[in-house]
Amino acid sequence: MKTIVAAASLACVIHASVAYAQSVTAEATAHAGHSTSTEEVSVAGAQLRAFGDAVSGVRFFAEAALAKSSDEDGDSDAFGAAYPYAGRVQVIEAYAERMFRPRNGLLSIRAGRYRTPFGISSGSEQGYVGFLRAPLIRYDGYYALSNNFLEHGADVVVGVPKLTLEASVGAPDEVGTAVRRSDVDSVVRLQGFHGPFIVGVSRIWTMPYQDPRFSSGRAVFTGIDLRWMYEGIALRGEWLTGKPFDGTTTTGWYVDVIVHRVRMGPVTAVARVERTDYDVPARPSRDLHATRQTLGARIRIIEGLSAQVNVLHQSGLPNYGDTALDVGVTYSIRRDLRRH
Amino acid sequence: MRATVRYLLATALSVGAAGPQSADLHGTARAGAGLAPDAVVWLDAPNAPAAAARRIVLDQRNLNFSPHVLAVRVGTTVDFPNNDRVFHNVFSFRDGKRFDLGMYPVGALKQVIFDQPGLSRIFCNIHPNMAAYVLAVDSPYFALSDADGAFTIASVPPGSYTYHAWRAGATELTGTWTSTPGQPLTVSWP
Repeated sequence: MKTIVAAASLACVIHASVAYAQSVTAEATAHAGHSTSTEEVSVAGAQLRAFGDAVSGVRFFAEAALAKSSDEDGDSDAFGAAYPYAGRVQVIEAYAERMFRPRNGLLSIRAGRYRTPFGISSGSEQGYVGFLRAPLIRYDGYYALSNNFLEHGADVVVGVPKLTLEASVGAPDEVGTAVRRSDVDSVVRLQGFHGPFIVGVSRIWTMPYQDPRFSSGRAVFTGIDLRWMYEGIALRGEWLTGKPFDGTTTTGWYVDVIVHRVRMGPVTAVARVERTDYDVPARPSRDLHATRQTLGARIRIIEGLSAQVNVLHQSGLPNYGDTALDVGVTYSIRRDLRRH
Repeated sequence: MRATVRYLLATALSVGAAGPQSADLHGTARAGAGLAPDAVVWLDAPNAPAAAARRIVLDQRNLNFSPHVLAVRVGTTVDFPNNDRVFHNVFSFRDGKRFDLGMYPVGALKQVIFDQPGLSRIFCNIHPNMAAYVLAVDSPYFALSDADGAFTIASVPPGSYTYHAWRAGATELTGTWTSTPGQPLTVSWP
């Protein structure tokens, strides 16, 4: 794996650079929240990130997070949209990338530690868009994938803007409570873009995160994701199916909408419906069939300060109530450290 | 050869349009005791000749809009390419030109024609910290101040003008300026 990362890093730094405005930006985000339900969870956390141009056309992104939750066991998924609550400083992403634009084509190479590029996976699309929880199929404990999955490896995107193929080879490098067993894993993703539509198909081959005493084989998932946006209305969705380990299957989906229209001022409205089904044919008593509906809003109070409110109704999640109210506030600032 | 002829012809036409007595207007933008970078200064010129269609780039790169402030003449087409691997969305809802370009991936480009004068505040709804300003002015005589607050408005014909100055978060300044060779224009916010 080190060889792959080293080779990708070398590919990033060779080749003459193209002249661009050089910039380095630092950004800090702090958040706090409380969930009122049978869970009664309070959280606080912060992220610090820096990104921009390094040398010779190479760009970098580095992000660290420190967050703490009153839910010591990590059972609740409240406020787990994109960051973990480990109670210690953790490096989330740290990578270098280089982009080439041969004629109308696109070639991008990235090496380091990055979010697993399956489906709608970027931190900015999962965290702070208005939802305070990750989709069921993208959270640690629900037998599918997790927004806290990270890869330590190399990733290549090739194609034209309308159609790109992405391939990632790496080793699991998680920051959440679901920690996959170490081995080489890979992700491929095909993405098409036309008008307001963006469609992607992803497949991942990786290792299970469940206890090895009862989970054998590899985890394999295939997913389809769709984004559509027009005049301030963004519609997104993902569907995936696969096996978290041998003898089991998980199929799930979510559809959400994010609305910010001209007359809504500082308010962005969000809504999501979702379902996940985890089946163990040999032991049906272990099945998980969960649904959740979320309504909420993100309200910009002043520049950099926003509040998020989510009301949830859910079923099929053991130990959790049917409803929850999540409230969070976020403050974010950024500074340009270098621009010329 | 053809390219050379076209270049010479274009140069001759542009010199002719500017007029033999036109001169560059140099100036400084200040705010309080300090300098005012990214300030836009323009002169009213209702009888100025129409401009040829132009295209200017407002890049999305490193989770920033670049440049942060863009001044364009009315009728200019601004390209908004996405040069980040993450998706971006570009919208302006508040005032000026209102539009929403939707979400688009790396390598893709969308365009907006700024066909009315005014200030447009540009945001990305995926990255709330991304923000930029596009100020469309109905005049060929405008400039953006640099990091030292200095600006140069090129090829201003002699005469008396009403000037305007804008910078983010401040009220617009207005005044008069009469061309005098070598006389700079200083715009100051209190």
